[in-house]
Order: sequence, then structure tokens, then C-alpha cells
Amino acid sequence: MTIINTNLYLKELKRYRKFFLAWSISIGVLIVMELAFYHIFMDEDMAKMMATFFENPFMKNMMTVFGTNLDVLTNALGYYATRSAIYIMLLGTFFSIMLAGKILAREEHEKTAEFLLAKPVTRLEVVWSKLTAFLTYLFLLSVMILVSGSIGLEIFRGESEYRLGAFIIHSFYFFLLMLTFGAIGLFLSLLIKRGRPITNISIGIVFGGYLIEILSKVTASVDKFGYLSPFKFMDSGVLRPDYGLEWWRVLYFLGVSIVLIALTFVIYRKKDILI
Amino acid sequence: MGEMYAIETQGLTKYYGKDRGIVELDLKIESGEIFGFIGPNGAGKSTTIRTLLGLIFPTSGSGRIFGMDIVRETKEIKKRIGYMPSEVSYYEKMDGQELLRYSAAFYKRDCHSRIKELADIFALDLNRKIIDLSRGNRKKISILQCLIHQPQLLILDEPTTGLDPLMQAKFFDVLIEENSRGTTIFFSSHTLSEVQKMCRRVGIIKEGKIIAVEDIETLRKKQLRKVQVEFAHSVKSGEIECTGVIASKAVRNNLHFMFSGNMGDLLDSLAGKDIKDLIIEEPSLEEIFMHYYSDEKEQNKKAR
Repeated sequence: MTIINTNLYLKELKRYRKFFLAWSISIGVLIVMELAFYHIFMDEDMAKMMATFFENPFMKNMMTVFGTNLDVLTNALGYYATRSAIYIMLLGTFFSIMLAGKILAREEHEKTAEFLLAKPVTRLEVVWSKLTAFLTYLFLLSVMILVSGSIGLEIFRGESEYRLGAFIIHSFYFFLLMLTFGAIGLFLSLLIKRGRPITNISIGIVFGGYLIEILSKVTASVDKFGYLSPFKFMDSGVLRPDYGLEWWRVLYFLGVSIVLIALTFVIYRKKDILI
Repeated sequence: MGEMYAIETQGLTKYYGKDRGIVELDLKIESGEIFGFIGPNGAGKSTTIRTLLGLIFPTSGSGRIFGMDIVRETKEIKKRIGYMPSEVSYYEKMDGQELLRYSAAFYKRDCHSRIKELADIFALDLNRKIIDLSRGNRKKISILQCLIHQPQLLILDEPTTGLDPLMQAKFFDVLIEENSRGTTIFFSSHTLSEVQKMCRRVGIIKEGKIIAVEDIETLRKKQLRKVQVEFAHSVKSGEIECTGVIASKAVRNNLHFMFSGNMGDLLDSLAGKDIKDLIIEEPSLEEIFMHYYSDEKEQNKKAR
């Protein structure tokens, strides 16, 4: 028994091709630009000029909140993983939550479900095919991040040394983070009546999650609240010698994703499609 | 298992929360027949169809299409069905050709020649994007989409809305041709006149319940007409005495009534009266229900 309908899968890929290209090219270009900016930052000896500024206790704390410090910032990979990550992680997770949030629900909202579900496909095949199309694009985006990141690092790293392995692990965490937000988007889109778009909710969830993570770092007393946000489970400490995959982080991302996707299957199998 | 019907439902019931969709629907549609499914808007026609198609799930009761369960064997069922929804919504960025190929690919059949043949019949340009098509042309895409894979059962939900009379006629020709090849047709409509040209039987649904399943011939014999006569003088409701006059009502010079008798007798009884105008028309479905299915019984009681 096949679970993926090739016809539907290919059509979904085609349907979101432009959406994917626009986002992945933007993210790829941004990564390279950020690293080029790092190069300028180092070349101009701005880091040295700013050293005293960074010694200021307020700034030091500020930097900690953003998960960085001067040593990290003067390393190409450290710079990428802490400073650039703010934009790139937000963009990546937006892409993921928005694509997953509409890939299934849009058929209902635009009433094309009446066409699709009258064809010889089961509900499970519909979810599998669309999920696979989503995962394909998520995978391709991760490849884009890996390629543009390693090219950018090689060109603009200057004197700084880094482990390529650390970059790959960071990118893998990033993939898992996007996967988790995608699963959240997919699941939420099913709870909304008639598949209305969840763009606003998505923006709220991504920013909200990011904000929780930032605020949780302000003082130790609120640290635990950070774990409400998937961002907390990212590890950006790429310069630590022992930086590597930690099973509890991977388990968290995969666990949340699998549970939400499984719930999506269960709900969609018995859902009344209201046109 | 006894005789296999194209569509068979037993006590099929659908509630949307507390809102009534359909209640205890029992239908038996034979293979190869053209069945008219008639009811006013909101009566439950689309609910019935969407339940049969597995878009929504029954609250209770069951249904079978070609002997297969509408919930458990929906994929097998859909291989044999062509469905035309009442409102046509398609992927707007696709053009006609692309949509039809996408549609055909679900059935693993080569539909090229049939697509071309039907596009010619309906004078449809398949290279235009769906978003740029008029409502009538989208409807034509919908017709092609439900026919190209040569299904054994066509489920049509108010298929003629938005089609001009010429296209309607062509559409009916195509349907009759399909039917002559053995295709069963389930034709939902809110007007009786539309389906009575081609259906052998009609089921009438009102407020979620089937209130009658009749042969078209039987209905034709009971044919009800809505009559308005304008006199030169004011009239009373009993102005005309003729068997078959129902629910006569006088408004100044006008006499309104329903007529189910012999038209010749009516004309005889009108002859010689000072009449300025006479309108005889087909009543709306609601009027048939009101006067035939409920009032007639009372009229009969009064007559006795």
C-alpha cells in the first residue's frame, strides 16, 4: 500500500516552488551578507575599538542575554551562530511554520478540498503527501543554509579558526528547530475552522517563543520558563570544545514534532471538511 | 447481499453539532438510472452528497456506493465517481489543461482524447488560467473534470447554475450519452423542471428528510400549475368552479390558485368570463410542497 500519492506530492512541490525559492534565496543571501559584514567588522578593527564598550557591565549582561560575548563575536562561526542567528533563525522558523500551516489547511480554506477529496486518495495519503512535500522543502532549505554558511565562512573567516563539524551540528539543530515549528503550524492549522490562514498566529508564536527564550536568560530565577520555547533547546555555543549533539535536545525536537504530526493524522482522518 | 444499488443509504444522519444536516435518510438508487435529487436551498442536498463522498462523516446510519461502505472504502468508491460541486473552486494559478491533467493523473488513465473531445463540445479554451475564467467557463472545467475518467457514477450538485441555455443543452446531451453507456447519474437541483426532462425518478428532500421518491411520470400526472386570472371586475375566491382548483385566493380583480386537474376543463370553465389576463406557470418547488405534499391531504379530507 502506498502512502504517498506521487501526483499530489509533485503538485504540492510545484505549488510552493516560488514560495520556497523566494525564502531560501533570501536566507542564503542574508547568511553570506552577514558573514561579509563580520569580515568588515574584523578588518576595520572595530572589535578592538569596541572592547572598552563591551567591558561596560550593562553591555556585558546584554550580550549574555543574546548568548554572546566579545570572544564569540570575533570568531567567524561564533559571530554567525550568535549574532546572525537572530535574523536567520526567525526567518527560517517563519518559513517553516507558514508553509506547514497552509499546505494542508489551504485546500479547505480555498475550497479546493472538494476537488481533492473527491479523488481516489485517502485522508492519510493526503497528509503524507503534503507532509513529504513540506519536509522536502525544509530539507532543501537546510541544504541552502549549510552551503551558503560554509561558503560564507570560508570566504570571510579571515584569521579565525572554527570546526566545520560545529557548524554542521548547529545547522542540524536549526533544522530540528524549524521542523518543530512546522509541526506546530501543521497542527494548529487543523484546529482553525474552515482552514483559515494562521499567518498572524504564526508570527505571534515565533516572536513569542523567541521573546520567552531571551527573557529567560535575564536572571536565573526565570530560566526554567525558557523551556516553554523551542528556541531554548537550540545550542549556539559553537565555540565550546565539547560542542556536539546532545540527545535530550534532539529528543525534545523530534518528540514534539512527532507527537504533533501524529495528532494531525488522527484529527485529519476524521475531520469534517466544511466547504 | 441482495441487489446491488449504485447508491444506498440506511438511516443516514448528519448533525453539525446541534444543527440539522440530514435526518434518517433512506435512499436506493439503481445502477444505470438518472436520479433527480430535489430540494430547496438548505434542505440537505449538499450535506447528503458530501457525506456520500466522505468529505464529512455521518453522525449515524450508513451508506454504500456500488456495495462499498462510504466511510471505510471511500478510496475505492472514488475511483468510480465523477463529482461536480455546486460552487467551483479550483487552484487559480493553474490553467485548464494543467488542472485536468492533474485530475486525470489520480485515476491512472489516459484521458487526453476525452479531454480534447469534451473541450471541443463545450468550446472551452484550456490554455487560460482558471483565475481569468468566467463563472460559466469554470463550470465547464468542472464538467470536464468530472467526466474525463469515465466514471460509473456521476454526482452532480446543482450542475447547471452559471451555464447558459445553449451549454445546458449540450451538457444534457453529454449526460444522456454517458447514461446510455451505463453511467448512473445523481443529479441534485432546486428546480424540478430542470431534472424532469431527463430523470426517471426524483427524490424530494425538505428540512433534511426525504419526503417523497416519485417516478417522474407519476409527478407529471399530478402536475401542478400556478394560475393567476385577472378579471374585469372584483372577484371572490370561489369564482371558478372546476375540479383541481386548490387554494384559491382572491385579491381585488385577481384570482390566484393552484391547479392540478385537466387543463381543458379549466379553460372551459373560464370561457365566457370577462377575463383581462391569464397567467399559467410552473410553481416553484416550495409551492409544490406546500400545496401538493401537505395541503392536498387536507383538501382531500375536506372533499370527503
